[in-house]
Amino acid sequence: MSLNQIERARGLRIRSSQDFAAGLFMIVLAVLALVLARDLPMGSLRQIGPGMLPTWFSIFCAALGLLQIVGSLRFNGEALSGWSWRGVIFVLGGACVFGLTIRGFDFGPIRFPSLGLLVAGPLVMLISGLAANDLKWKELIIFTVAMSAACILLFKYALSLPIPLAPWLLGI
Amino acid sequence: MDMFSNLSLGFGVALSFQNLALCFVGCLVGTLIGVLPGVGPIATISILLPITFGLDPTGALIMLAGIYYGAQYGGSTTAILVNIPGEATAVVTTLDGHQMAKQGRAGIALGTAAIGSFVAGCFATVVIAALGAPLTKMALLFGPAEYFSLMVMGLCFAVVLARGSILKAFCMIMLGLLLSTVGTDLETGQERLTFGIPALADGIDFSVLAMGIFGFAEVLRNLETPEARDVVRAKIGRLLPGWSDIKQSAMPCMRGTVIGGTLGILPGNGAVLGPFASYTVEKKIAKDPSRFGKGAIEGVAGPESANNAGAQTAFIPLLTLGIPPNAVMALMVGAMTIHGIIPGPQVMTRNPELFWGMIASMWIGNLMLLIINLPLVGLWVKLLQVPYRLMFPAILIFCCIGIYSVNNQPLDVAFTAMFGLFGYLLIKLGFEPAPLLLGFVLGKLMEEKLRQALIISRGSFMTFLERPISAGLLLVAVAVLVVALMPSMAKKRDEVFTE
Repeated sequence: MSLNQIERARGLRIRSSQDFAAGLFMIVLAVLALVLARDLPMGSLRQIGPGMLPTWFSIFCAALGLLQIVGSLRFNGEALSGWSWRGVIFVLGGACVFGLTIRGFDFGPIRFPSLGLLVAGPLVMLISGLAANDLKWKELIIFTVAMSAACILLFKYALSLPIPLAPWLLGI
Repeated sequence: MDMFSNLSLGFGVALSFQNLALCFVGCLVGTLIGVLPGVGPIATISILLPITFGLDPTGALIMLAGIYYGAQYGGSTTAILVNIPGEATAVVTTLDGHQMAKQGRAGIALGTAAIGSFVAGCFATVVIAALGAPLTKMALLFGPAEYFSLMVMGLCFAVVLARGSILKAFCMIMLGLLLSTVGTDLETGQERLTFGIPALADGIDFSVLAMGIFGFAEVLRNLETPEARDVVRAKIGRLLPGWSDIKQSAMPCMRGTVIGGTLGILPGNGAVLGPFASYTVEKKIAKDPSRFGKGAIEGVAGPESANNAGAQTAFIPLLTLGIPPNAVMALMVGAMTIHGIIPGPQVMTRNPELFWGMIASMWIGNLMLLIINLPLVGLWVKLLQVPYRLMFPAILIFCCIGIYSVNNQPLDVAFTAMFGLFGYLLIKLGFEPAPLLLGFVLGKLMEEKLRQALIISRGSFMTFLERPISAGLLLVAVAVLVVALMPSMAKKRDEVFTE
C-alpha cells in the first residue's frame, strides 16, 4: 500500500489545524457581521441599500472560510503554534496604560489620573520592555529616559503636537 | 513640450527649503527602517502619518514617499551585509550580494546596488512624468463602471501576487472589504455593524487599523522569533565599482529597470515581482549561469534596479487613477484624504504643485539617497547592532504618541491595541495582513462606484460587461485568477515566493 493510500485510508481528519482555525475564524466573523447587518435594508440593485454590501461581503467571507476548512481536511499543512502571552500582555498592556494615563480616563468608578507624556511615555516603554526574552534592566532604563526626553522634544516642541506633558506638575 | 514646463513647476516646489528638508528626512528615515530588519515601510508610514498633520499636504507626501523608496535602498544594505532582507523586496539581493560581501567585495556590492537604484529611480521618475498626463486624460474617460472593474482587477492582482496561499489572501481582501463597510452609510446615514459604539460611527479609523495590524502586531510577531544576525566582519572595502564591474552591471541594470518599472505599474503590488523577474532573466541570459548565487554582480545590479524602479512606478496608479496598488500606497491614500485631497485624476489638474512637486522630489530624493547611502554606510552597519529588545519599546512609544495625536483621543490607543491583538491572531492563523489594508481602503471607493454604476444602468449588472473598457479590465482580472489557479502555475508561484 502506498503512502497516499494509507493517508486516504485514515479518513477525514484535520490535516492542518492552522487552516482549519483560519476557516472557522472567517466563518465566525462573517456570521457576526450577518447578525449585525440583519436589520439593515438591502435595497434593490437599482438603489442599493446600506445592508446589501455588508451582507454580500459576509457571505463571501463565510464561503472562503468554508473552502479553507475543506482544504484543511484534504491537504496537510501547518499546525497552530502557541501564543506568546508575554508579548501580548506587556506590549498591548503597555499601550493601554499609555491610553489610560496620557490624559486621564474615567472607567466607571475607577479614575485614572492625567499623567501626561512625561510619565505615560516612560511607562509604556518600561512595561513593553518586559516582553523581551533577553531583558536587561539597566540598559532599558537608560534607553527609556533618553528616548522619552527625545520624544518630548520632538513631538511637544519641534512638532508642537497638542499632547499633555505633565499637567500635575507643570500645568501643561 | 508640456512635460518640461510641468517638471520645472515640480522642481520649483520640490526645491523649496521646507520640501528639501522633508525629502531629506523622509529618505533618512526610509534608509534607517530599510536597514533595520523587523521595521518595514508600512509600519513606519502608519506611525508617522499623524505627525504629518501639521505639514502642508505636498510636504507630507514628499516625506512619506521618501520613506518608501528610501527603504528600498536601505533594504539592500542589510541584505548584502547581514544576509537578512531588510525589506521584502531585497530578498533576491541576499543571494549574490551577501556572497560578494563574503568575498570581500561588500563595498562594491553596496555601490552597485546604490548606483543601480539611482539609475532606476531617475528612469522611473521620467516614466511617471511622461505617463502621468496621458493616463490622467484616459482616467477622465472612466465612468463608475470602469472604476469598479479596475478596482476588481487590482484586487485580483493583489490576491495573486500576495505571499502565501491564494485562498488566504482572498480571505484578507474580503475581510478588508467587510471592515470598510463598518460605520455610517454615506447615502442613507444609517449606522452599520457598529455594535452601537459611537466611536465606530465614523467607521474604523484608518490609522488605528494600520498601526494596530502593522505596528503592534508586527512587534508581537518579531518578539516570537529570536533574531540571528551574522554581520559581515570583514572590511567593506572600496565602494565605487571599477570599470569592469560597471561594464558587467550596466545592461542588467537597464533590463532590471525596465522589468521592475513595468511590473510596478500593475495594480496589485506588481513591484514585489520585479526583483524576482529580473534575477530570473539575468540568470537565463547569462553566459555562465552557475556564477549566480556565488557572488555574481549582475545578480545585485538587476534586482536592485528593478525594486527601486517598481517602488516608484507604483505611484502611477495612485497619482493618475486614485487607486492604490499596494498597502503602502493605501497608506498614501490615507495621508491624502487626511489632508482633504481626494486621490484620482483630478489631483493633477486641481493640485498640480502636489503632483509635479512629488514627482520632482523623487528624483531629488534618489540623488540624496545616493549620498546618504554610500559615505554613511559605516553608520548604518553600526545601527544594525541595536538589539530588538531596545527597538520595540521605541516603536511602541512612537505608535502611542502617533495614535493619540490623530484625534487627541486616548480611547484610540486602546482600539489600536485591540487591532494589534486582531493582527496577531491573523498572523497566528497564517494570514498575511497586507491585502486586508488594501481591501479596506478600496472598499469604500468600490461601494460608492458600484452604487453609482448601478444607478446609471438602472440596476443591470450587464453595464460592467457592455462597456468595453470595463469588460476588458474584468477579463484581465478573470484571466489572472485562472492562470494563477492552474496547478502548474501554482507550483511555479510557490517557488518564486519561497526562493
